[in-house]
Amino acid sequence: MTTPTWDEPGGPMQLDEFRVATEAIMANIEHVIEGKHATVRLALAVMLAEGHLLIEDVPGVGKTKLAKALARSIDCSVRRIQFTPDLLPSDVTGVSVYNQEQRDFEFKPGAVFANLVVGDEINRASPKTQSALLECMEERQVTVDGTTYELQPPFMVIATQNPIEMEGTYPLPEAQRDRFTARIAMGYPDPRAELAMLGGHGAVDPLNALRAVADAAMVRRLIATVRAVHAADAVQQYAIALVTATREAPEIRLGASPRSTLQLVRTAKAVAALEGRDYVLPDDLQALAVPVLAHRIIPTTDAQLNRRTTDAIVAEIVHRLPLPHDRARSPYDTRQAGDNRGNTYDTRGR
Amino acid sequence: MTGRRRLGLVAATATLLAAAPLSVIFDSWVWLMQCILAVGLVAGAAVLTRTLRIPGWGQALAMVLTLLLVLTWMFPSGDEILGLIPGPDTFEHFGQLFGQAGEDTRNYGVPVPDRDALQFITVLGVGGCAIAVDLLTVGMRKPALAGLPMLAIYSVPVAIFVDSVPAVPFIVGAIGFLWLLVADNVDRVRRFGRRFTGDGRDVDVWEPSPLAAAGRRLAAVGVAAAVLLPLVVPGLTTGLLSRLTQVGTGGAGSGFGGGGNGRVNLFSSLSGSLTQSETKDMIQVTTNEEDPFYLRLAVADVVNAQGFANRTPTGQQVTRGLPDPRQTRRPGVQFAEYKASVKILDLTMAFAPIYSTPVATDELGAAWNFDPNTQVVFSTRTTTRDKEYSFDYVRANYRPEALRESQPVTDDTLRALTTVPKDAVVEQLVAGLIKGKETDYDKVMAIYNHFSRDNGFTYNLQTTSGTSGSEIAAFLQNKAGYCQQYAAAMAWMVRQAGIPARVAFGFTRGGDRDGNTWTITNRNAHAWTEVYFDGFGWVPFDATPVSGVVGSTRSAWAPDVDAPDPVESSSTTPTAPNATSSGGATDLERPDRNFDDPALAGGGGTGSSGGSTTALWIVGIAALLIALLLVPALRRSLTRRRRHAATVKELQPVTPLAATGATDITVTTETTQARADAHAAWDELIDTMIDYRVPIDPTETPRVTAQRLVREAELESQPAESATLLGRAEERARYARRPLQGGELTEALTHVRKGLSRSATRRTRLVATLMPPSVMLRWRLATGDASAVAMGFFSRIRESLVRFSPRRLLASRAR
Repeated sequence: MTTPTWDEPGGPMQLDEFRVATEAIMANIEHVIEGKHATVRLALAVMLAEGHLLIEDVPGVGKTKLAKALARSIDCSVRRIQFTPDLLPSDVTGVSVYNQEQRDFEFKPGAVFANLVVGDEINRASPKTQSALLECMEERQVTVDGTTYELQPPFMVIATQNPIEMEGTYPLPEAQRDRFTARIAMGYPDPRAELAMLGGHGAVDPLNALRAVADAAMVRRLIATVRAVHAADAVQQYAIALVTATREAPEIRLGASPRSTLQLVRTAKAVAALEGRDYVLPDDLQALAVPVLAHRIIPTTDAQLNRRTTDAIVAEIVHRLPLPHDRARSPYDTRQAGDNRGNTYDTRGR
Repeated sequence: MTGRRRLGLVAATATLLAAAPLSVIFDSWVWLMQCILAVGLVAGAAVLTRTLRIPGWGQALAMVLTLLLVLTWMFPSGDEILGLIPGPDTFEHFGQLFGQAGEDTRNYGVPVPDRDALQFITVLGVGGCAIAVDLLTVGMRKPALAGLPMLAIYSVPVAIFVDSVPAVPFIVGAIGFLWLLVADNVDRVRRFGRRFTGDGRDVDVWEPSPLAAAGRRLAAVGVAAAVLLPLVVPGLTTGLLSRLTQVGTGGAGSGFGGGGNGRVNLFSSLSGSLTQSETKDMIQVTTNEEDPFYLRLAVADVVNAQGFANRTPTGQQVTRGLPDPRQTRRPGVQFAEYKASVKILDLTMAFAPIYSTPVATDELGAAWNFDPNTQVVFSTRTTTRDKEYSFDYVRANYRPEALRESQPVTDDTLRALTTVPKDAVVEQLVAGLIKGKETDYDKVMAIYNHFSRDNGFTYNLQTTSGTSGSEIAAFLQNKAGYCQQYAAAMAWMVRQAGIPARVAFGFTRGGDRDGNTWTITNRNAHAWTEVYFDGFGWVPFDATPVSGVVGSTRSAWAPDVDAPDPVESSSTTPTAPNATSSGGATDLERPDRNFDDPALAGGGGTGSSGGSTTALWIVGIAALLIALLLVPALRRSLTRRRRHAATVKELQPVTPLAATGATDITVTTETTQARADAHAAWDELIDTMIDYRVPIDPTETPRVTAQRLVREAELESQPAESATLLGRAEERARYARRPLQGGELTEALTHVRKGLSRSATRRTRLVATLMPPSVMLRWRLATGDASAVAMGFFSRIRESLVRFSPRRLLASRAR
């Protein structure tokens, strides 16, 4: 078996095979997280899109549980970092320690040297420690003392953070946030799922009973499959139009980055594949716009004062941006006139 | 207060300007002097009361009193205190003036001479208007309402002139009204505050502002449209009356050749007449008179620079009784009463042909009036088309000896009919002819006899048609012409001799006689002269050579000058109907043409088949309208058919989705075709949705659109599946590597359409079928695009032109 590389993670598989594999993973996770199909699927999609996931929600809704369930379902190296205020960058990346026997410095790999890294309460660490993740998340490598160490595919950081608690936390800097492909919220379970949880968790933690249903090699093949999903020109244009719209929206101070365009399309490919399609639909982009784009943008002070969340702003952009067509057609628009004239994007396509 | 005072003066001036259209009614300008005085004094009273800060009712009272004083002073009864303070007699006098005015309006045609009663009414009306305008403008600050009294003034000439009033007085009146509006608004702005520019400089009120410029442009466009539109729209100014009134006889040359639309253009162009070769039956007259004279239609009794013209007839409704000429019985005149009935076959005119002088009419109705002055029956509301009526008439037979008894006329109104523009040639000729003749009749006969073959007069169509002084002189020189010249020349010369004369129009009695019934064709149109003899009234003379006119007849008092025996000549023509109908080149045939100008004959032609052609027209127009209404539906169905043709195709097996690993899009003819099909089907679905008023949202993906369609239109099973299929097909055509192939898209479209129509209301269904909103929307968008392009084009042109504007230089210097 050849060593998997980032460019060629493995051979792609048929869509049927793909569906079986992914459904197994999702079913496995849903043993633990009940009634959160969409969230689980999105988490899986982010993994298959070679991205990193930021789970943000109030305490106690199962953020860590989702992260751990995802990690357990795949038979690969998993490391967990509990971010605390006194955590140091070297704890994350690794450190060179002097080996007395060999009389040389020896590199002790940090927590990031794994396929899955679960960073719990990431905003409790100081910015100094948080920024240790910057290199590895984007470039999938770690440079310590001038030596660069490659990370093995798949590599995914699943971080959780608590948005309510402000005391003793350090909000993630933009650069850090931009590296997370998607930010998802868990949300409260519905009463039925909560009841089932009470019955199950009372006796035994289902997490302990969780078995891996996939391994790293399989995940690599899954990723290769996702890469092969077709994104038509029109879809790519639409993705660009969406991202451009965030940059031009009057309520937004900092729009989404080009990296986000790439990740948006990648995630959309993963979602399409999870739905059994070999092509991306604008529907996928629309569904993913909020989780993928909302956490990257910074609203203006006015919008903040108006209590406009970034989610709402992005949702509105999605709602008012016309779909690009790859052919000329009459621009019927029976809605009230006015709002979608402002964007410079040619809505009639090329 | 200065603003209001100014506004009051403007109101007074505007009222006077608005009275400008009255100028077409009056002969002189005396009325205007009186009106200026009255309005000026009324305005003065208003200014005075306002200066004294007397409340509104006091101002009104003062103005009314002023007007009363002015009227008393201008039209005194003779019993006033100091000639100014009205007494009871004054009001009685005013009442008399009112009554007199009513009579005068009946008796005088426009332009009317200076009659006290009419001037009284005018001053009263204009003065009253001035009061109303002043109160509305200055008192109530509603200058727009002041347009109503001004309109009331304008409606007077409109009511008198049946068809149209000259444009210039209207423009003057409109300018007055607009000035009033502008003055009021300027005053408003001034009271609101001062305008100033950005650099703090004060702006004069009259300095151009964009808003004011827009207002001025609107006003100019409005007035121009009001003047020009009636010229463009047919039927508003093409009336016979207005034509003859404004253009006159001489001017009615070739200009009116073809436009008559059934109305006889009395003075016709000769060149056009020669092109007419057909004979059309126009009128059928049945009379118990053995030897009837001509059928009269209209009269031209005004002479202006262009020649003879008729004036607008005035008179009472025929149903209210007609004057009887026998009341003024004189020796030497024999009256015989006959009865005649007329059946109009093909003539559309505002004048009804009758034998003179009618004493009673039947079946004409209240729309027809009788003008006692010109003795014509006319209507301002209807035409003679397809009319059948009968009337009793009195035929007067004058003995020449009796006519010789007649004294020169003294009545002013009649004296007016003796005036002609000076023409040395005619003057000299007439002076020579009437030299030594004592009585009016002898003078007339001398002139009448001048038009004889011995003197070299011949009938000829190849002449100019004018009747102005120089043209009359030319005719007298050339001695060749047709009835128009003969009639006009004789009338002119008789007038020159100091005897009232006019030109009558109508038809000869026709050549086709069947018992008591005479059939009159377009070739019998004729003109002759009527001369007024005091005590006898208007006596007809026909100076046209008998040989030239079919159905010509002569009377005892005016025998045929060319024939040794007048009886013979008068009977020749009527008893020779064969000659009329047969010979194409006979002497009798030629005259037929003399009145057969295109307007007469051509117009008659359109009017003749009037009954059937109108129906055809109506049917045609209705068909055209229906066709126009069906255009959108047709367009829609054509589009649908085209798209269906694109989507109908042979079944192909659905290709499996397995495209894993393939990074390129499969491009084959089949897939290209399938993509095009899906797009066509989707476009059709969108159009169908628009037709059935399902909103379209361009931010929606095909999938969502299809889902929403199913949800909103409440589609069930089959249509719902079809909609989903269409959505999927379009989605795959747009975004997938391989489009959906083998889908029954046409069928799906039909299902969706059916489902939509089932859930739609009846009105929506109807509109979707007849006026598909998709087509209308497309057209509207196309229109919008086109107009945007045009706007852009014109603004570019304008910009490039502005570079040459000198104002630009001024503006840059000011900056």
